[in-house]
Amino acid sequence: MSDTSQMIPVREKKSIYMHWFNAGIRLLLLLTGFGIISGELVRVVPAFWPEFMQGLFGGNDNLILTHSVLAMIWIGVFVLFILFNFTNIVLPFLKNVLVLTPSAAIKDMKSMTLNLLQLFGIMKNVPIPPQGRYNGAQRLLGTMIIFCSIILAFTGLYLFFGPQVLNFSENPLYGAIFRWSLVAHISCVFLVVTGVIAHVYFALVEEPECMDAMKSGHANVEFIKHHNALWYDELKQEGKV
Amino acid sequence: MTKKYVMLADTTRCINCKACVVACRAEWETPMGHTRDWVKEVEWVQNDQPKVMLFPGRCQHCDDAPCIEACPSGAAYKREEDGIVLLDNGICSGCELCIPACPYEARWLNPETNTISKCTFCQPRIDEGLAPACVQTCVGRALVFGDKNDPNSEVSRLLEEKTWVKLTTDEVNVGPNHYYYTAGEALPDEVMPKQYDRHLSGKVMEIVNPVGAIGLGAMLLTFLGAGVIKLVGRRNEVCASENKEEK
Repeated sequence: MSDTSQMIPVREKKSIYMHWFNAGIRLLLLLTGFGIISGELVRVVPAFWPEFMQGLFGGNDNLILTHSVLAMIWIGVFVLFILFNFTNIVLPFLKNVLVLTPSAAIKDMKSMTLNLLQLFGIMKNVPIPPQGRYNGAQRLLGTMIIFCSIILAFTGLYLFFGPQVLNFSENPLYGAIFRWSLVAHISCVFLVVTGVIAHVYFALVEEPECMDAMKSGHANVEFIKHHNALWYDELKQEGKV
Repeated sequence: MTKKYVMLADTTRCINCKACVVACRAEWETPMGHTRDWVKEVEWVQNDQPKVMLFPGRCQHCDDAPCIEACPSGAAYKREEDGIVLLDNGICSGCELCIPACPYEARWLNPETNTISKCTFCQPRIDEGLAPACVQTCVGRALVFGDKNDPNSEVSRLLEEKTWVKLTTDEVNVGPNHYYYTAGEALPDEVMPKQYDRHLSGKVMEIVNPVGAIGLGAMLLTFLGAGVIKLVGRRNEVCASENKEEK
C-alpha cells in the first residue's frame, strides 16, 4: 500500500518561474493594453482608466511602446523556453493539456460542467469521471489559452510593426488585416481573462493545494489520488508513488 | 470661457475659384490627388432655369464626432480649449476605422505618412493668431473663421445677422461646427451627411464588445457566488463541529 500523505515533486523549478513570469507579465499587458484602447468602439474598461494610464506614461505613444516592449519580452522568453525545454517540459505538457478532438472536448466539457454545478451544490452525488494530470476544465482552459496566446502574439506584432513597415495605402489588405487583428486581439483578451477568473478562483478558494504545488513544485499524493485518479495510476505504474 | 471655433461658408459668395483648395494643399503639402478641403458644385433645373450652388467643405469638427468614437487608439481627439477635432500623428496607425465613420467623408489615408489626414482648421496657424489658409486666401470672402463664444468676433456678428444652416439630417446630427448661408435655398441632398458606417471588422467589434463585457461580468458573478456558497458552507461546518465538541 502506498503512502498517500507523502509529497512528490510534480513540477520543475523553471516551469514554476515560467508560470509566475507569465502571470505577472500578462497582468502588466492587461493593465497597459486596457489603457491604450481609447475610443468607444471598444469600451472594455471605464474611460478613466485609459486617461489615467496615458497620463501616467506621458501619452498614449509611450504606453503603446511600453505594452509592445513587454509583449516582445513575453514572446521572446516564451520562445526561448520552448526551444530549450521542448522535449522534457513543453511536449509532455501539450500532450496532457491540449484538447484537439470533438470527442475529447465533449468529454472534458461534461466533467467541467459537473465541476461547476457542484460548486453550487447541484448534482453533488454524481461522481466526476476519473481525471488525468489535468482535469477537463483545466484542459479546456489550457487549450483555449494556448491558442489565444498564439493569436495574441501574432496579431500584437502586426498591430505594432504593421503600420511602421507597410504602406497601408499601397494595398487595402494591409489595413484590413490590421482591423481584423484588432478584433482578434481583443476577442482573445476577453477569452483569456474570462478563463483566468476561473483559474484564479480554483487556485485560491477551491484547490489551494494546486497553488502550493505551483509555489513549491510538490503535490500531496492524497490530493492527486482524489482529484487526478488517472494520473495517480500513471505515477503508481512508474513507481513514483 | 472656452473658445468655440466655427467656420462659416457663404454659398452666395463662393465662386468656385478653388483658391481655398490650392491654399490648403500648399499649406499642408498634401500628396497628389488628395486634399483636406473641397468645393462641391450642385446643379439643378428650377422653372426651366439652370441653378448652381457651391458648397465649400471640410471636416466639420463635430461636437459628437463619430470618428473619435471609432478611433481605437485615441489618435482622433477633440481639443477641449476650442472644440476642434485633431489627430495625433504619433499614435495614428492608419487603420482607417475612422474613415467610414465620418458622415462628411472628410478623412483619408495619407500615402506619404501612412496616417489619417483631415482639416484641422489649420491648428498651427490659428494657435499663432492667424486665419486658416483657406480663409486667408478666399477671394470672395465666402469663408469666415472665428470664435463663436466671443460676442465681438466676426463670426458671432454674422451668425446674428443672417440665417445660417448646418449640414444635418434627422438621422445624422453629430453637432457640426461648420455653418452655411444659402440665402434661404434648401440644402440639396448631395451635400447632406451620409449615414456613418463602420468597416465590417468594426461592426463585429460592436458585437464582441458587449458579449465580452457580459461574459466577464457573468464569470465574475458566478465565482463570487461560488465563493459565498463555499464561505457559508465552511461556516456551517465549523459551527457544526463546535456544537459537537460542546456536547
